[in-house]
Amino acid sequence: MQQRVLTIVLLIAIGLSGSLLVAALSVWRLPDNQQGYAPEQPIAYSHRLHAGDLQIDCKFCHSAAESGRFAGIPAAEVCMKCHRYVTAPYDQTLQELKLADKEGRSPKTIISPELKKLYESLALDEQLKPIPGGKPKPIEWVRVHNLPDYACFNHQAHVSVGVKCQQCHGPVESMERLAQFSTLSMGWCVNCHRDAARNGVNGRPVQASTDCSVCHH
Amino acid sequence: MTNFQGDMNGLEAAVRPNSVRPSEGAVPNEALPALNRRQFLEAAGFTFTLATLGGCGRAPVGHALPPASLPDGAIPGNLRYYASTCTGCSAECGMLVGTRDGRPLKMEGLPEHPLSRGGLCAVGQAQTIGLYDSLRLKGPLLGGKESDWPSVDKAILQALKQLPEGRGSVRLVTPSITSPTLHAVIDKFLKSYSDAKHVVFDPVSSSAILEAHAATHAARVLPHYRLDRADVVVSFGADFLGTWISPVEFTAAWSSRRAPEADRPKMSHHVQFESRLSLTGSNADQRYAVRPEEYGPLVARLTELVASRAGQPISESLAPSPDERHANVLENLAERLWNARGKCLVVSDSQDVAVQRLINYANHLLGNYGTTVDLAQPSRQRQGQDRDVEQLIGDLRGNRIGALLVADLDLLHDLACFPDLAEAIDRIPLTISFAPRVDSFASHAKFVCPAHHPLESWGDSEPIAGLVSLAQPTLMPLADTRSMLESLATWSGTPTSALDAIQAHWKESFFPRRRIEAVTSFHEFWDNALRDGFVELKTDAGPNAEFATSAVKPLVVDAPSESFTVVLHRNVAMPSVLHAHNPWLQELPDPVTKVTWGNCVAVSPNDADQLGIHEGDIVVVASEDGQSKVELPALVQVGQADGVLAIALGYGGKGTERFAKIGPQWIGAKDSVSEEGLVGANASGLLRFQLNSLRYQRSGVSVTKTAGRRPLATTQRYHSLEMPREIAPRGAEHREIVQHTTLAAFAKNPEAGAVEHHVALEPQLWPEDHPTPGHAWGMVIDLNKCTGCSACVVACQAENNVPVVGYDEVLRQREMHWLRIDRYYSGENDSLQVAHQPMMCQHCGNAPCETVCPALATVHSSEGLNEQVYNRCVGTRYCANNCPYKVRRFNWFEYPHPDLRQNLVLNPEVTVRSRGVMEKCSMCVQRIEAGRIEARGKGLPIADGAIQTACQQSCPAQAIVFGDMNDPKTAIHAAMKNPRRYRVLEELNVRPAVSYLRVVTNRDEETRRG
Repeated sequence: MQQRVLTIVLLIAIGLSGSLLVAALSVWRLPDNQQGYAPEQPIAYSHRLHAGDLQIDCKFCHSAAESGRFAGIPAAEVCMKCHRYVTAPYDQTLQELKLADKEGRSPKTIISPELKKLYESLALDEQLKPIPGGKPKPIEWVRVHNLPDYACFNHQAHVSVGVKCQQCHGPVESMERLAQFSTLSMGWCVNCHRDAARNGVNGRPVQASTDCSVCHH
Repeated sequence: MTNFQGDMNGLEAAVRPNSVRPSEGAVPNEALPALNRRQFLEAAGFTFTLATLGGCGRAPVGHALPPASLPDGAIPGNLRYYASTCTGCSAECGMLVGTRDGRPLKMEGLPEHPLSRGGLCAVGQAQTIGLYDSLRLKGPLLGGKESDWPSVDKAILQALKQLPEGRGSVRLVTPSITSPTLHAVIDKFLKSYSDAKHVVFDPVSSSAILEAHAATHAARVLPHYRLDRADVVVSFGADFLGTWISPVEFTAAWSSRRAPEADRPKMSHHVQFESRLSLTGSNADQRYAVRPEEYGPLVARLTELVASRAGQPISESLAPSPDERHANVLENLAERLWNARGKCLVVSDSQDVAVQRLINYANHLLGNYGTTVDLAQPSRQRQGQDRDVEQLIGDLRGNRIGALLVADLDLLHDLACFPDLAEAIDRIPLTISFAPRVDSFASHAKFVCPAHHPLESWGDSEPIAGLVSLAQPTLMPLADTRSMLESLATWSGTPTSALDAIQAHWKESFFPRRRIEAVTSFHEFWDNALRDGFVELKTDAGPNAEFATSAVKPLVVDAPSESFTVVLHRNVAMPSVLHAHNPWLQELPDPVTKVTWGNCVAVSPNDADQLGIHEGDIVVVASEDGQSKVELPALVQVGQADGVLAIALGYGGKGTERFAKIGPQWIGAKDSVSEEGLVGANASGLLRFQLNSLRYQRSGVSVTKTAGRRPLATTQRYHSLEMPREIAPRGAEHREIVQHTTLAAFAKNPEAGAVEHHVALEPQLWPEDHPTPGHAWGMVIDLNKCTGCSACVVACQAENNVPVVGYDEVLRQREMHWLRIDRYYSGENDSLQVAHQPMMCQHCGNAPCETVCPALATVHSSEGLNEQVYNRCVGTRYCANNCPYKVRRFNWFEYPHPDLRQNLVLNPEVTVRSRGVMEKCSMCVQRIEAGRIEARGKGLPIADGAIQTACQQSCPAQAIVFGDMNDPKTAIHAAMKNPRRYRVLEELNVRPAVSYLRVVTNRDEETRRG
């Protein structure tokens, strides 16, 4: 009798710890799973502001996504398309304009500390003029999405058949600091490929192979 | 020791909390913890858990550094091609430079180029590795010490101004320069000195051909040989498919006449007389092994026979009659040539001007001038004047030279036959080398002004009169180097950039000669040339002097000698010592001997028997006077004439010391260099001048066997298609790996030569296991076009990040080339037949490798490819054991990549494999994927020919067809229906996706030889 109770208790304990383990695994990451990785970046760039509030299209900055293997982190020059004119948050600029108006002087250029880093990387001074003898330096962004060397992912192949950026990268437009949304594990890739081969992408039939060499070569 | 202590301390700390247990006894010594079994297990378990938890952590932080500004149109990671000109040798073929993220990675042939027609040889493709060579000079050297350009320029200008009395001569020594702009700059530089001369010294000289034309046609030119127009080709020693003048062009032209069709059974007839077995001889329809001294009498007799047919019989005999055994041969050959007059070609690489004059006469009588021998647009690929070189040596010895400038050759290496030259050079007040690495001459030079790598600088070239091409830089110079053109311009007092100089010269000289009149501005003319890589110009009519029959004189023929004659030749993989720094070329097996890592002395089997020489025995070859000798391992080479020794030049160059430790270093590893510390040995000590021309053969040499041995690192050990009788099943002694027929048999039955299989192909073991509903990738290789030139081997190596393994690993048969070229011999003596067969993964439908892999690391794709998945492979090597074609390669080591700059050569589209995994030809699956994505981006199906494998793209003979076998409109679909098609080891029923087209030799007999 006592033994039976013990057995039952033991079984319950094993079951409980088993379910705890499963629960824990779903919260924890498997080795090499970088899901949720959101490192601090050299410039506190906000996707929420640019892609969310300002509704700038992803491919405006990541233009190679349609035509190349990498979507590409835009060159600092791309930022300058807007930030040649926008040098600080709107309210700060407005405040300065009002102040200058009141004091009867021409407004000063206000440069936000984050954008200052951008201008420094392009060797531009406070007036956005090239610093004589200055040499542009790339910004050292911390890489968020990183696949192992033996896996080849091509953006063009996916974007050109209509896969939405958010399908893999998540709601980037709501992220203040960019985080890895998906697991980027092989199982996750294959699941989507199987689904796409069966159901197509956005209702359009596509060829989504699960041959090994599609990604591993 | 400190590390060990540190580890122990850490272990102690980890163990300490649990270590004092009364029941187990206390720690006896404070300094060293005594571990009992239990404690050890506890510590080990703890460590293991920590390691596991540690493994769950984040991957190391990576950075992404986008460029501050991106060039227009550049897409990160995408391949972009730039049309350019290859400067690997003076043939100057058209080239496409594939660059990725600003890095030149893959050299390919330029399909529109009129000479090379899309082919590019092994040497041209291996150039990238020289670009990323971290041992290249970083800047100019002054007296052996690093310096900077302003001080070097100042010192040189001062030295040029103050040349001592009686030593005022300025000499610039280069090989043939095809660049018109560089010629102009050189002329301008030399004009400012009273006694200045440009000495053109071709280490591979064709001086005799130019001299002969000076005598017979009153123009010192090298004709442009048109093999694409020749029905009959007779070559006396000229290795035109391998190393002679312009091999890629000649291969393309020759192979265009080697594709008989069922409804048009016609092809060219190629006869080769040669002393060693060259690549060209191995592809000839009929080949005769003769001593080099016999070329003269043979050519003379042939000329006489042709002359009598032409109705201009020569009364006086031109030379003693050749050997009896060739009497009939020459008679038939003369008949054949006469019947194909105007559509045949006789060539020779003889450096005897008298022989070349007879060759000219034969071609003249046969009406070949104006058809197959083009003098209207002569070649500029060889301009060397051996007489000038001889003169230069005299001047050097006589201390008459005040300034010596040497570019693009290693004077002391190539003229090692004059051992006193180094001393004479040391006495010259001003010596300048343009070498990118410190070679033999540069180590004696006062100044080394390293030139850019060709991929870093602007250049132009005119290989054939009227065809000018551009070479454009594809990246900024990696070091503080300067092109020779810019250096010379600076010293002339008119510093200019190479681009400005070229544009100015083109505007002045070429723009007015443009063919397309619609192009009205120079800007447009230049842009077109830059886009296309080349431009064709109007030319003047060539020399129209009457053939000077007076130049046809009887030959002076040396009495046949009983001693040995040494033939000094070039290897396909090593056309010049300038490429000796290139590990890809050092490890590229010679197409015929299959030897890697160094040269050897090839000996005929009869001579080897008599002298008791075996392969790998070190022998000494010495000249008659004993002054010059070379010590090298011997190779017993079938097809070589008796009494002939053959040694490749271009080896043993200074700088090859770097390869001592190239392969994986383990306790049993042998160095890739010989005892002298170099790869191979320099045989140019055996060169000599005779009658004003540099001779590549020398009679009266002796060969002696020493006690030493150095095994030759060959990639093929078995040379016959015959199975040894003791293991062959009855009736299967001859294996039809390479199928063969003759033109006579082919004309009767296009399927002649097919083999009936011993094993029934039905039923299937795996019926329709691998359906390929979409694409079915396949390849067809025309063995009749393939010459074995090995361009594809290097193409594959560059494309697929194939590592270099070194001499010792090749000896252990662990070379890693995904694509090898098998070479088989059959027959003997004059009926020797050589077959070249590119062999790579056959992508079997019923792949034997797939069924035995326990890790499912090699599987079948839905498009018929046999995939190797590196990250799944655990290295059991079962697959390699079960592969009937033996094409799988195993990574026995982590092939080192310690040199970060050298690693820039790696193709980022292909995984760099690590130790313990199997690899093999993937049929360039990365190119298939790229082609698919490209087509998908446009919303179109994949066009036929849009995807080319690396081997196919560069093949000078265009012997490889790749495509979708399911699509009835593709080229491969047509090739699959070719009656010559067969599959290797078809009887195994593995159903390979690679098929071959049978060899057809142009012979009248209907049965195979041998």
